[in-house]
Amino acid sequence: MARDALGGSDITEQELLRRKDFLEFREDDIANLAGINDVARRYADSVIDDFYRHLLSFEETRTFFRDPQVLERVKSAQQEYFLRLTQGNYDLAYAHNRLNIGAIHERIGLPIKTYLGMYNYYLRAVASRLDEAYRDRPQGAWSAFMSLMKLTFLDMGLAIDTYLNSRERTIREQQEAIQELPTPVLPFREGMLLVPIIGLIDSQRARALTEQLLGAVRDNRAKIVVMDITGVQAVDSKVGNHLVQTVEAARLMGATVILAGVSPAIAQTMVTLGIDLGRMTTVGDLQSGIERGEELLGYTVTRTRAKSHSG
Amino acid sequence: MRASILKQNKYLIASVQGSMSDADLVQLREELAADVRRHRSTGVIVDVTMLDVMDSFAVRTLRGIAQMVKLLGAECIVVGIQPEVAFSMVQLGLTLEGTMTALDLEDGLDALEAHAGAGTSSP
Repeated sequence: MARDALGGSDITEQELLRRKDFLEFREDDIANLAGINDVARRYADSVIDDFYRHLLSFEETRTFFRDPQVLERVKSAQQEYFLRLTQGNYDLAYAHNRLNIGAIHERIGLPIKTYLGMYNYYLRAVASRLDEAYRDRPQGAWSAFMSLMKLTFLDMGLAIDTYLNSRERTIREQQEAIQELPTPVLPFREGMLLVPIIGLIDSQRARALTEQLLGAVRDNRAKIVVMDITGVQAVDSKVGNHLVQTVEAARLMGATVILAGVSPAIAQTMVTLGIDLGRMTTVGDLQSGIERGEELLGYTVTRTRAKSHSG
Repeated sequence: MRASILKQNKYLIASVQGSMSDADLVQLREELAADVRRHRSTGVIVDVTMLDVMDSFAVRTLRGIAQMVKLLGAECIVVGIQPEVAFSMVQLGLTLEGTMTALDLEDGLDALEAHAGAGTSSP
């Protein structure tokens, strides 16, 4: 089974054993569950029918089963799932099956609360059937139910894992996307470069940025580099120091780096971390950065036409 | 391998070669000191374009040259530090503080001119 089908979740033999151990799911539970296999078989149809009647009676859950064909398919899958609970052999393949079911529900966007509610409904439906079938020996019904509860909680744990893993994967993918944002080095005027940095800077991206920037200084014969970090939310000590080193290295190549758009949060971090910005030229925003750069290069920008509405 | 020192009007241009030993660098310093005096130069450009490694000794010597030239009444500028060299220097904490730097020979000459014209610096 492909890992992707499980939403990035996988489980090892040891992990499954640990989980069973924690739930105190033992041999006698397996025997108990096997003991009610006949009852499960007998009542499967009615439990599943009740179950879907319940689901369809709520607007929120009904939307997932609009298509009658889909409903038929999930019903038979659900029946299989239900019967599987009492068929023994709760091994790795069982866990994978459960993870897969969780992943399917996650993909159609079924909320966790509904998922848990479905388990709750199952437990109650089975409890009442057991009560009926074991009228003469309620002790047997009780122990079977306890075993079933343990197994259901094992299933629930696995299902929730698929939800969490899928979210984590999404977050990871988005982080990667942010990190892979290219950093353009834009020639702005003769001898002046503009480097807008957006997103997260980690050490790897900072290193790539340094290489790119120093190379661009040489290739464009730049004297001024305006580095705009308005779009950077946070800087850690490593990255901060790296930025300072980049500025120093650019100076060794005869270029002045003007750091623009330092947010109050980054300013505080820099000061708290003791990053020495003393030799750095910093200005509030990109506009000031460009103006300072033009001034240093001896440019003056003049408006050739007055505003249409003078005043 | 020894560095070549060229005279261009009021300026001296020293090109540091890629394979210079520590002794060669020290000798360059001595020769420059003598030449600044002899030619009454007002500026010295040390071109390190060919250097792909700059160790602490080389940096110290360069800074020494700059200070010495200054004492003799001239300006010194280091040009042609390559991107990789620049970054590794900074990482080693060798930042050539107080020494003028420029991208290449051309910019270095411009910078010296601008400095000589004191205050009238414009491109």
